[in-house]
Amino acid sequence: MHTGVSGELLKIEHLSFAYEKDEQVLNDINFVAHDGESIGIIGANGIGKSTLMKLLVGLNLNYKGTLEVAGHSVNKKNLNHVREHIGYVFQDSDSQLFLSTIEDDVAFGPQNYGLSDEEVEKRVAEALEKVHITELRKKHTYKLSGGEKKLASIATILAMEPDIIIMDEPSIALDPRNRKNLIKILNEIKSLKLITSHDLDFIMDTCERTVLLDDGHIIADGPSTDILSNEALLTRHGLELPLRLQK
Amino acid sequence: MNSIEKNINELNKLQNLQQRSHWMNELHPLGKLLLSVLYIFIVVSFDKYKVVPLIVMSVYPFFGFIAGELSFKEGIYRMRLILPLVLFVGIFNPFFDKQIVGMIGSVPVTGGVLSMFTVMLKGFYSVLAVYILIATTSIDDICYALRILHLPKVLAIVILLIYRYFGIMAIEADRIMTAYKLRAPHQNGIHYKAWGTLVGQWLLRSMDRAENVYESMLLRGFTGDFRIRKKKVRIADILYPIIWLLAFAFVRYSGFFG
Ligand SMILES: Nc1ncnc2c1ncn2[C@@H]1O[C@H](COP(=O)(O)OP(=O)(O)O)[C@@H](O)[C@H]1O
Ligand SMILES: [Mg+2]
Repeated sequence: MHTGVSGELLKIEHLSFAYEKDEQVLNDINFVAHDGESIGIIGANGIGKSTLMKLLVGLNLNYKGTLEVAGHSVNKKNLNHVREHIGYVFQDSDSQLFLSTIEDDVAFGPQNYGLSDEEVEKRVAEALEKVHITELRKKHTYKLSGGEKKLASIATILAMEPDIIIMDEPSIALDPRNRKNLIKILNEIKSLKLITSHDLDFIMDTCERTVLLDDGHIIADGPSTDILSNEALLTRHGLELPLRLQK
Repeated sequence: MNSIEKNINELNKLQNLQQRSHWMNELHPLGKLLLSVLYIFIVVSFDKYKVVPLIVMSVYPFFGFIAGELSFKEGIYRMRLILPLVLFVGIFNPFFDKQIVGMIGSVPVTGGVLSMFTVMLKGFYSVLAVYILIATTSIDDICYALRILHLPKVLAIVILLIYRYFGIMAIEADRIMTAYKLRAPHQNGIHYKAWGTLVGQWLLRSMDRAENVYESMLLRGFTGDFRIRKKKVRIADILYPIIWLLAFAFVRYSGFFG
């Protein structure tokens, strides 16, 4: 929900996390994000990108350090506040869509907030409009194509009007046309966006800032144009230059 | 197509039916649910020798299939697992009740034969009524109706999730089987030695997926209560079940059909 919180929306200080003892996934992460930014979180497979995102929405509370979302510390007591401010688009759209029709699924979040029927309806219409799938609203979720499912799951999050939107590997399993469409739509969304991916071309097209993760640390954090064109840096951390920069 | 794929297909076909824009689908789910339940109660409550009014009661399933544009053949096919159960409940009646109650031409009819027939009809009608309900009402709507009836929210959620997870588990099973078969093309079915691992895989993956679904619900503010949008009640939503119930009551209590 937009509460008019501006400026610093996300604050991560000395964040460390391990699923199993002595298998540190994240190690002393420090990171601040502001309203309106679009940030790509990149890193090789299994490096902890998804883990970091899940910590932000409070799906795992056993972390060390400071984690603040829109001024709320991520802990059990604040979970509802935190989740009002931050929306998570799962990598696997099938996990996101569980009601029969798209409109019901998109309405699910706003309804849980106890909004009036009119307000819910307005949210649904707007969210579908933002991802350009208004004509699919009555459609059955199981009948959608991969690209449509992705857009529908983004709509379920937009309907909650979060200040921060997290997307885990959104471009995975999309064909070129759907991928292009998604880039256009993401660029129209003005909230703070965190996008994880190892599709660096996608990050280049959607994010102004890039954060490179490896070995539990933030290796680099800066303008995408700098980081994504630094071949030596990327190769050292298991990635490759975006295709369009390769000779 | 393997048998899992067939089942997924079946599920999809049923969902297709539920998503049609047909007036019967648009009726308020509470009315349809109550109507189906009361129909079954009334049918079951008929005296075991009352054949004629019971046959008249078939007007409801007849109407449902014809007006609802449902295929009778498909309906029977989908209900094939329960049908034998309800049809054979009365199978031993002829052996117990040998009193002759009437004649068809020159053949004497015993009470047992008659009651076997009525028990079968009752079971058959009930199955058809349930099918008409689920073919025209989505699981979300049925849960919504159950909530209006003050079914505890936990139960409504459980019903919804079982339905949802059932689909997920079927799809996971399908993926695993396909992956297996692609790499064992000359094999008929699955080698018994692989079963253990595959089933283990299947449970783990299904649990993973189910957990993701649940997490995604939590992240969208789900607190255990289920608020589906209120459906507007129209005149037809009330008239449709009431007219039927009046008709049922007439058949059951007027004595007009014996
Ligand atoms: N639920 C879990 N339990 C234990 N280990 C996990 C779990 N989820 C992920 N991991 C491990 O944590 C590491 C980071 O995983 P993940 O965050 O998914 O990486 P990425 O998203 O960057 O590919 C991996 O080594 C992975 O095996
Ligand atoms: Mg990941």
